[in-house]
Amino acid sequence: MSKLVLKFDGAVLREVAVGAKEVSIGRSPDNGLVIDNPAISHYHARVFREDDRLMLEDFGSLNGTFVNGQRVKMVHLKPGDSVVVGKHTIVVSESREPETVVATESPRAVAPKINETVMLDTRERRDFMQKVASAGESSQVAPSRFKVPTLVVRKGKTNRKEYTLSGKLTVVGKSALATVKLTGWFAPKAAIQISRREDQSYYVGSADKVPNVNGRPITHPTQLAAGDVIEVAGVQLEFVYHD
Amino acid sequence: MPVQIEFGARTDTGCVRQNNEDAYGLAPDLNLFVLSDGMGGLTCGEIASSLAVDTIITYCREAESHQASAEEGSCISEHLAEAVRRANQAVHQLAEQDPSGKQMGATVVAVRFAGERMSIAHIGDSRVYRLRGDDFEQLTDDHSFVEEQVRLGRMTRQEAGTSTMQNVLVRALGVDSDVEVDVSEELFSDNDTVLLCSDGLTRELTDDQIAAVLRETDRPEAAASHLVDFAKQAGGADNITAIVLRPHSRSGGVGRWLGNLRHWFR
Repeated sequence: MSKLVLKFDGAVLREVAVGAKEVSIGRSPDNGLVIDNPAISHYHARVFREDDRLMLEDFGSLNGTFVNGQRVKMVHLKPGDSVVVGKHTIVVSESREPETVVATESPRAVAPKINETVMLDTRERRDFMQKVASAGESSQVAPSRFKVPTLVVRKGKTNRKEYTLSGKLTVVGKSALATVKLTGWFAPKAAIQISRREDQSYYVGSADKVPNVNGRPITHPTQLAAGDVIEVAGVQLEFVYHD
Repeated sequence: MPVQIEFGARTDTGCVRQNNEDAYGLAPDLNLFVLSDGMGGLTCGEIASSLAVDTIITYCREAESHQASAEEGSCISEHLAEAVRRANQAVHQLAEQDPSGKQMGATVVAVRFAGERMSIAHIGDSRVYRLRGDDFEQLTDDHSFVEEQVRLGRMTRQEAGTSTMQNVLVRALGVDSDVEVDVSEELFSDNDTVLLCSDGLTRELTDDQIAAVLRETDRPEAAASHLVDFAKQAGGADNITAIVLRPHSRSGGVGRWLGNLRHWFR
């Protein structure tokens, strides 16, 4: 009977058993193993059984999944393997308990803060820069490679034809706080908002109005994909990634 | 003649953190306003930032009471720098006594008005901005790793804005027994709006968004509130603090009212 032991900074947070059903891993609360940390994608990876082997599959997560130090897409897991997602480690372990035992949950530790401010003094800074340089792939200093999307106005009156979504929050409306400024007497102050999440995904949500996305009204904040068309308050906006 | 400053401030834990390690202090009798963002594990951050703010205000108040006449501009700047150095010593001494050995420290921005000038002293990546007409300008340089990289030409400003290394400071209060304080003086006029803020605000909102709030909201208290609400709407991943300052002599005109931002977003 295999189990996944979730650890952070050496401390065990939780254990989840892997039975016949797969265990999905991610930030979203509907996963089998929920890791509430911005470095983890909403649906990050999964562990499942194939024949008699335990398999790990990365869902194309932003920060990747690493097994014993190597970044992987799909790999076979053995007991003792160390799976790293973001700053968390999942240890694959084999127990001798019968299959019917329900996953044990150790009391949930407080999610450690990510992005806490730290200070590098001169000596530490030198050491740090040396470490980064010798690692070859200066991934920590190199700029993030994600692309910033654009909203292109396909129909309706706005102050500009295109808007680069460079901020975490973009408001569409008549208010001075709006980035996409709607003109028109009846335009609401804030019609909709577009939010960038920690994993660089973009979501559209209602404010005073409910938008249509690809012809259908949304019922909750909805993730945007390239080519999606948002329609609200007489304006049509296409969500694109320019090359 | 002592200038009258209208001020408003708000601080918030934000949407993600467990506690608020930001602190601020308002000493209108001295035209002095201070903000600090603490760091270190457990309660170290809260202790560091409060101690920094208190030390600076106390020192300036004591220095003021020992003056026979009103202080000259450059004296103000010197005293402000000394106040920050004292704060550094206070936090550093406390950190040395801390058995957990964690890095207790803080950023600090302190602004003091005298005549037509304002003195700014800062360490770290909390910021001072000035809105003057159409220009919204950052008056302080961040003492952060990414800012250093930008200055050295190794990173563009846009890359810095999306870097995962933004939280790394190269200068902070309380980490060393001695620290260099950046001090500058700026002229200010009736139509200026000055903003002191922690990075919890600027990580969430763009400069344009911040400037829009300051332009559209007349009362500093409301402006500070709106900034915090807006930042929380954008994610609120860190503690957020904003102090908004305006010379009192400015004629109010019709106060534009943004409404309650919380009701906009569902």
